[in-house]
Amino acid sequence: MNRSRSSPRALMVAVGVVAILAAACGSSTQSTAPSAAATVAVPATAAPAATAAPTPEVAITPEPVGLVGPNGGKVIRWFIGLGGGGQPAQIEAEQKFAADFNADPANKDKIYLAPEIYSNQVAAQQLQVQIAAGNPPDIIGPVGVEGLNIFRDNLLDVKPLIASQNFDMTRFDPALVDFFDIGKDGATIGVPYATYPSFIYYNTKLFDEAQLPYPPTKVGEMYNGKPWDMAALRELGMKLTVDKNGNDATSADFDPENIVQWGFDMQWADDRSDTEATIFGSSSVVTPDGKTAQITPQFNQGLKWFNDGVWKDHFIPTSAAINSDLLAKGNLFQSGNIAMVSTHLWYTCCINPAAPAKPSFSWGAAVVPENNGVTTAKLHADTFSILDTTKNPTEAFDVIAALAASPELLTNYGGLSADPALQQAFLDSVQKNYPDSKIDFQVIKDMLGYADKPSHQGWLPDYQKSRDALKAVYSKYRTTAGLDIDAELATLKTTLQGIFDQYNAANP
Amino acid sequence: MTDSPQALAATPRPRRSRWMLRPSTREALWGYAFIGPWLLGLALFTAGPIIASLVMSFTNFDLLHVDQTRFIGLDNYVRMTTDPLVAKSLISTFKFALIVIPVTMFASLGFALLLNHPQLPAKGALRTLVYMPIMIPLVASTLVWTGFLNTETGWLNKAFEAFGLTGPDWINSEVWIYPALTLMGLWAIGNFMIINIAGLQSVPTELYEAARIDGAGWWTQLRKITIPLMSPVLLYNLVIVLIATFQYFTQAYTLTNGKGDPNNATLFVNLELFREAFVFSRMGYGAAIAWLLFAIVLLLTLALFAFARRRVYYAGGDR
Repeated sequence: MNRSRSSPRALMVAVGVVAILAAACGSSTQSTAPSAAATVAVPATAAPAATAAPTPEVAITPEPVGLVGPNGGKVIRWFIGLGGGGQPAQIEAEQKFAADFNADPANKDKIYLAPEIYSNQVAAQQLQVQIAAGNPPDIIGPVGVEGLNIFRDNLLDVKPLIASQNFDMTRFDPALVDFFDIGKDGATIGVPYATYPSFIYYNTKLFDEAQLPYPPTKVGEMYNGKPWDMAALRELGMKLTVDKNGNDATSADFDPENIVQWGFDMQWADDRSDTEATIFGSSSVVTPDGKTAQITPQFNQGLKWFNDGVWKDHFIPTSAAINSDLLAKGNLFQSGNIAMVSTHLWYTCCINPAAPAKPSFSWGAAVVPENNGVTTAKLHADTFSILDTTKNPTEAFDVIAALAASPELLTNYGGLSADPALQQAFLDSVQKNYPDSKIDFQVIKDMLGYADKPSHQGWLPDYQKSRDALKAVYSKYRTTAGLDIDAELATLKTTLQGIFDQYNAANP
Repeated sequence: MTDSPQALAATPRPRRSRWMLRPSTREALWGYAFIGPWLLGLALFTAGPIIASLVMSFTNFDLLHVDQTRFIGLDNYVRMTTDPLVAKSLISTFKFALIVIPVTMFASLGFALLLNHPQLPAKGALRTLVYMPIMIPLVASTLVWTGFLNTETGWLNKAFEAFGLTGPDWINSEVWIYPALTLMGLWAIGNFMIINIAGLQSVPTELYEAARIDGAGWWTQLRKITIPLMSPVLLYNLVIVLIATFQYFTQAYTLTNGKGDPNNATLFVNLELFREAFVFSRMGYGAAIAWLLFAIVLLLTLALFAFARRRVYYAGGDR
């Protein structure tokens, strides 16, 4: 009797154990289906607000490969997602590139490229975990300076490889050649690849309605007979800020509680107060030795200008306004209710509304205004980097050289090539997407020559924590009227110094 | 004949093999075998990580500098005592708890009383409607609420404007953010309401009849009959709300993109430990904050149970 009772029990227990172990040990592929295809490729460095992300990303992890690939070559793992590269059109281009690369007889028995693609939202954490687990990839990218800062201590200096592999750096703009000498102790952590200069996007419809001339398209040009500087920008911004009764911000009858159109903002500027202030001149909140916190006159002046712009002159929107329907919940320029924004070239991804809606205005490009005779157009630039744990640095660099030479990939990433010979393809694609806009592309090319140095995304001790402190200042001034900016900056300096001291003590 | 006591006594007992187990032992072993897979899962995926987290809290484990990991004793715990952000997160959490816990308890009881009223028509449909918001994913509902509470174009402030009032800046004000989050939480009190309804329905109706005969009104019945007899259910809800409040994360993270705005008012303890561990990569310090959170919640829960020993009435118990 016991035997007949115990057999079904034993079978049930065995089945249960097998099922649970099988579920626990089964592999999974991380992927999410996109809900809409992008009409324009989203660029690598784009960091829009969470509520304004243009297209959901897809993550693809390939089948695991060993040390030798199917073509007999050494496996080079390519980690994508830290910057861009996760949009459906980009994934297709990346997979095609990898397939073509691996099929190329020149790479047989030499290199096998294995891309792995992660959602931008989790890519940084994913990479951290891979590094911690001793399973890091070989190359990462496309990625901008901000993404690289997080992994600065883990990146290989590619200067020796540039020399040994005879990589031609002479074709790049001199301003970009040493742009990526930002690794530890001045290491070169990438070669120039894609650039995204910043400039003024202006809404032609709002200018026409106000019967105002468009802003200048050449550095040094006047606007309405006066220099095109920050004072002129302020005045123009106020004229283009309108309340629900049609009064502009220069009018005595202007109602700041009922604004329906704003004059200017710096869109998607990393939510950092120091980034916005770059338009007043390049600076860093840390001294070159990486030890002392500093608040430069440019930063001080810039933050006061923006704070007054929000609460006194009212031509810059508050945080509440930015997140409202009036400004498309954060995609300000797309809303059509702001006359000018200063942002980067990658923003060409996101001006058109999602299909089937049609764009309601055309736009143009203008140069950034000067401040005290100096024009500063903050720059984003993408590259591919090699992790210092790679066992195949030469092969990894060869892959990077091949990636940098692919015009199809670059077009999908929406970047202006650092190589002038490859720039036109992207510019043509932008014009194609905005057939009704007369875009002066020379503005974009010219702004490359006014890149901020030091970069607004330059490394800071304990980068993420320092960046967090800077973002807190931005959040506060955009939501709280009547702040004493000098006091806020003094507090920021103290906070940053504490962060720097703690970091430097732990990393002598 | 063979069953007589003498016969049984004379019959030699078979010798038990050393491998033969008692029936009760066999039964117990089968029980363990059936729950074995679950125990294995508990050990591997719950107990194991808990122990690992405790060990990690005594190290300077950093995801990006694993090779530099070393034992640092109580340094992480000492650091917490001087970290202004940890202090701020605790203050924010307690401030929020002081508002959200009583509001949730009263609101869920209120809804339960209302939706359990014998004369209320379409009770089933109404209960379903009140419960339904729980089905909506938290992130999606938070994003919807962000629009609803927007100062400029949100429907709530537009409704205030219709009555000539000016609505507050719900999301960007350090004062109004807590009521805003409480309002969002009220949308999902269906769970507690259902549990309260079950508690209400377990109160014997003859007690109410007797009370009515003695002239007790609605309020007296509530205080003297309903709440005492529902006290175990209320205690359960209170413990759950308390734990959920101290684990508050998703809405704060979604609303502020993980920043804890405005001015760290929504930098709750859970969000702070997430940032330390996963944003700043300081896993050791984040683990220490997690254990601090555990200790706080444990103390509060034990205090609640100590309070319950005096105040909670269990039918069939001593009180």
